[in-house]
Amino acid sequence: MENYLQYVADSAAFILEGSVLTLQLYAVTIIFAIPLGIMLALMKISKYQSLRYLLTFYTWVFRGTPLLLQLFFTYYGLSIIGINLQPFTAAALTFVINYSAYLTEIYRAGIESIDKGQYEAARALNMDYFQTMRRIILPQVVRRTIPPTCNEAITLVKDTALVVVIGMGDLLRSAKELFSRDFAITPFAIAAVIYLLMTTVIVYFFRKLEDKYSIYE
Amino acid sequence: MNNTDPDMKMIQALNITKSFGAHTVLDNVTLEVKKGEVIAIIGPSGSGKSTLLRCFNGLEEIDSGRIIIEGDIFSEKDEKHHKDKISARAKREIAKKLGMVFQHFNLFPHMTVLGNVAEAPVTVLGQKKSDVIKNALMILDKVGLLDKKDAYPSKISGGQKQRVAIARALGMNPDIMLFDEPTSALDPELIGEVQKVISDLAKEKMTMLIVTHEMRFAGEVADRIIFMDEGKIIEDAKPADLFNNPEHPRIKTFIDKISRRDAE
Repeated sequence: MENYLQYVADSAAFILEGSVLTLQLYAVTIIFAIPLGIMLALMKISKYQSLRYLLTFYTWVFRGTPLLLQLFFTYYGLSIIGINLQPFTAAALTFVINYSAYLTEIYRAGIESIDKGQYEAARALNMDYFQTMRRIILPQVVRRTIPPTCNEAITLVKDTALVVVIGMGDLLRSAKELFSRDFAITPFAIAAVIYLLMTTVIVYFFRKLEDKYSIYE
Repeated sequence: MNNTDPDMKMIQALNITKSFGAHTVLDNVTLEVKKGEVIAIIGPSGSGKSTLLRCFNGLEEIDSGRIIIEGDIFSEKDEKHHKDKISARAKREIAKKLGMVFQHFNLFPHMTVLGNVAEAPVTVLGQKKSDVIKNALMILDKVGLLDKKDAYPSKISGGQKQRVAIARALGMNPDIMLFDEPTSALDPELIGEVQKVISDLAKEKMTMLIVTHEMRFAGEVADRIIFMDEGKIIEDAKPADLFNNPEHPRIKTFIDKISRRDAE
């Protein structure tokens, strides 16, 4: 029994080491994709038709093809035309662009759900476009889009496992290595627990955020 | 421009027209509003009352004609060139002189009552926050809502919401207030508290345009009543004249109908 506990502890330590990369990729994606999603959403509903078409094309492509394919394309595909990216760079780039596409649609819907009376009130108070967006519209959009953003944040934790296909070591790959070495199911169970811990933290964080914003409802 | 001149023209609308598609909403409307005047605009729904009001602060663009606010041209279009000659920036500068209150309040739900009143003076006018707060509290006191300053709009009644909306508009220190059916969305028992705030403003000689269906209130508060029908101003008269012997039969029918409804 004691031996087994030692084995679990050692395995967990090894797998956790692998999860550092998962967390880094996660952080980079969240930090860049959310602001980018908001910016692109604003552009997608702007009065500039060419911009709207371009962004419609963008969300169509990146939501309509597998993330795995996009990862292959960025890492292997681009190297054929001479663009050689480090695995982490390629992964981060792909994840940011892919997740921004989903978030763009989430925030676009959020912005469009705000009553036009809010714009009129802001206009009647002589706010310009940026003041209206920053002070009036976007704070309400952020509140309304917490649940779908939380969904994306959870999916992202699990999607990070895809980076093994471009040769990166992450949480799941560490677990798989232990499985191959020991032919035991425990490493997978440990990986599952770590994923669950991460998603639990995320859900808790978004719940707190929702509570904070719900005071005005 | 001499600001103490009682005959100073606050709003001049000259031959303004406005259509939504094939439907003409404003048909060659001309109107002058003097300093300190309170004008009630009445008429059947769809007669263009609200649109007229919304043209004065740029929420709607006119198709042709000219709007002058306190001597500055705010909007000018001729029949051929459907492009306003006044820049958006210049418009915003002029529009600072007008405050507006909406039928459905349109308060900012994510800000407290105080936040709603203090937001624009800080963000738009760049005034010092401590000064703005002091002024906002004074205005809230005036509309009787000082004790609600930390409440969010979802937690207060419709009448209170509308009073906050009035306070919010007053926070920008406007010369002219536009009211677009300020009591139409309110339960009957809440109408009085909003009308009282508007009456108080009238006593302070605030220039006001009020679109309303409340005939009695219009008669009490207004210096002039304008009756609109099908995009035209049909009559522009003192309340007593308009109510007692309207020139136009259409007005009599309308007033009778409204009075019957109110009596019920």
